[in-house]
Amino acid sequence: MAENTKQLANWIQDQLQADHDQNFALSAQTRAASLKILDAGVFPTRKDEEWRYTPLNTLLDQNIGAAKSDVPNADSIQTFKNAVPEAHHLVFINGKFSESLSDDLDSVKESGYTVKLMSQLTSDEQLQAEGTIRDAKLSDDNIFQHLALGLSQFGLFLDVANHTEVKTPLHLLNVATHEASTSLTNPVNVIHVGVNSRLKVIEQFVSLSDAQAVTIPASFMALEEGSGLEHFKIGLESDSTDHVSNTSVQVGANAHFTSHQYLLGSRLTRSNMEVGFAGPGASTTLRGIYLGDGTQHLDVRTYLDHAHPHCNSDQHFRGILNDHSRGVFNGLVLVREHAQKTDAKQSNKNLLLSRDARVDTKPQLEIFADDVKCAHGATVGELDEDALFYLQSRGISKEDAGLMLTRAFAAEITEDIGIEPVQEYVEANISSRLNELSLANV
Amino acid sequence: MLSIKDLQVSVEGKPILKGLNLEVKPGEIHAIMGPNGSGKSTLAHVLSGREGYSVDAGTAAYKNLDLLDMAPEIRAREGMFLAFQYPIEIPGVNNTSFLKKALNEIRKHRGDEELDAIDFLSLIKKQMKLVEMKEDLLKRPVNQGFSGGEKKRNEILQMAVLNPTLAILDETDSGLDIDALRIVAGGVNKLRSEDNAFVVITHYQRLLDYIVPDFVHVLSDGKIIKSGTKDLALELEERGYDWLLEKAESPS
Repeated sequence: MAENTKQLANWIQDQLQADHDQNFALSAQTRAASLKILDAGVFPTRKDEEWRYTPLNTLLDQNIGAAKSDVPNADSIQTFKNAVPEAHHLVFINGKFSESLSDDLDSVKESGYTVKLMSQLTSDEQLQAEGTIRDAKLSDDNIFQHLALGLSQFGLFLDVANHTEVKTPLHLLNVATHEASTSLTNPVNVIHVGVNSRLKVIEQFVSLSDAQAVTIPASFMALEEGSGLEHFKIGLESDSTDHVSNTSVQVGANAHFTSHQYLLGSRLTRSNMEVGFAGPGASTTLRGIYLGDGTQHLDVRTYLDHAHPHCNSDQHFRGILNDHSRGVFNGLVLVREHAQKTDAKQSNKNLLLSRDARVDTKPQLEIFADDVKCAHGATVGELDEDALFYLQSRGISKEDAGLMLTRAFAAEITEDIGIEPVQEYVEANISSRLNELSLANV
Repeated sequence: MLSIKDLQVSVEGKPILKGLNLEVKPGEIHAIMGPNGSGKSTLAHVLSGREGYSVDAGTAAYKNLDLLDMAPEIRAREGMFLAFQYPIEIPGVNNTSFLKKALNEIRKHRGDEELDAIDFLSLIKKQMKLVEMKEDLLKRPVNQGFSGGEKKRNEILQMAVLNPTLAILDETDSGLDIDALRIVAGGVNKLRSEDNAFVVITHYQRLLDYIVPDFVHVLSDGKIIKSGTKDLALELEERGYDWLLEKAESPS
């Protein structure tokens, strides 16, 4: 065990003590409520319904140390940048912005488009960012969200003015590097998209060598009327990384929010996404794949608040689980009393590639309006024997046939990505992950 | 090419094939006819290596190899092809890349060089004309959204591309209208040669107007009870199966 390391709760206490001389992302006023919750230090257990299937022991028992944040050389991260060739790249090493590895911030921003580190906001901008956080946040009892809100020194503020289409996607590359002890990263990212404006953001989480890391990001996004935000998350972290993310989104009238999540790495991932509709005609498309091997544990939670009439939501998540890995899908769609003409779809399909893999799926609808269209469903299955045989009967080995069918299962999600190089990159990563699997039980 | 001797097969303990004998030589077309439940499809499945069938006795040799001991993909690579009665839809697997992969597996097995995308495309386009298939079906997932006739034509297209030495057509005529039937049969006729053989399994004589067999066998209760030439099929068309079944049963 490295010296000067602490388990997560102790690490938090240390941070609370040392609080005054740090440069925090948010104002003392905003942080105060979060610090109170952090001070109480109550982490969820499996007795909490929302955490029933996901044990946090390993994460909480990590020994957290300070990251030295040596900047890796540019070559080692180039392959990750290639994921999105036609984009602006901003690189964060263990949470900290790396000027040398990133595009020049001044070259990224354009007229009507602000891209700024949270630590460099003017007081007006900070007020605006904190307003977005308040607008987007749906719950107040999430200690991991508070860990970012209360103690984060890092993060990014993106603001698109009204009637502005940002053409170049923004690629946020989060790199965990190897440190003597586990490093903890808790950035706060805030995205505000103005009336009738457009923005695309690709967030990628990767590890160099066998980095041990705990990543606890909190993102807050607000879409004004008629705007569009496409958000992509690609998780490729090492199997000594734990990742608990919280994303809160407010979608304004006639605005559309698209989210794609590809959770292909880490030891433990819990991805919580909460989307609230702030006006009629708002809509969202949520897509995702979790692909587990070994003893990986991948947990996707979604919460959709249909608070206004004429809003649509369309969710489709797929799990591929091999070996002893475990997947969780927990999706709740809440349709409030006055949210008439709601159209909500939720689908979760899982493919178990081994006898020891497991998935817990819990699609939930709570409907209080009477004139709505809601559909949900979940399936857990194995590879289709008839399809395997059909491919075999044409000369394709059973193992290759299994790979083809598994890739095809994933392709039904990835084909909706809409940015060709990102789709190719995600599909290539899914393929290479699948090629590593021992499909012994196919 | 194919030599089946006293083949006895059961499914979940229930005997289906009860001592079947069949000799197929290169250049021949054999039709296997018979009433529902006689074991026609079981024969096709066992020969192609589908799971769930227990071979209780007998042998099946293909090119002097022990067919029943080979994995399905090895049978295919050795030149066997089954045209499915119910071709299944495989969402997400592209029709063209699937067939390219299949062909290259077979070519690798034979020691031939793999075809690249360009050569493969020119091959497949040529063979598509044979079955009068629309090109956009190539871009779709395997059989997904295909009509019944398109699925059967896709089977014949696969057969034309993979160029097997022994093809088994399992009720390929079922559910086909007369135009599709003509196209499918035309495909088979263009592919037949002195080096390959076909086993055509069918319930009706109709298909045999288009694919003229050298031999017709009547399968009943798991055995071939009568063999003859194409005239036997015509006789069956006229008289049905009953007179044969009565004859088969009367000695016992």
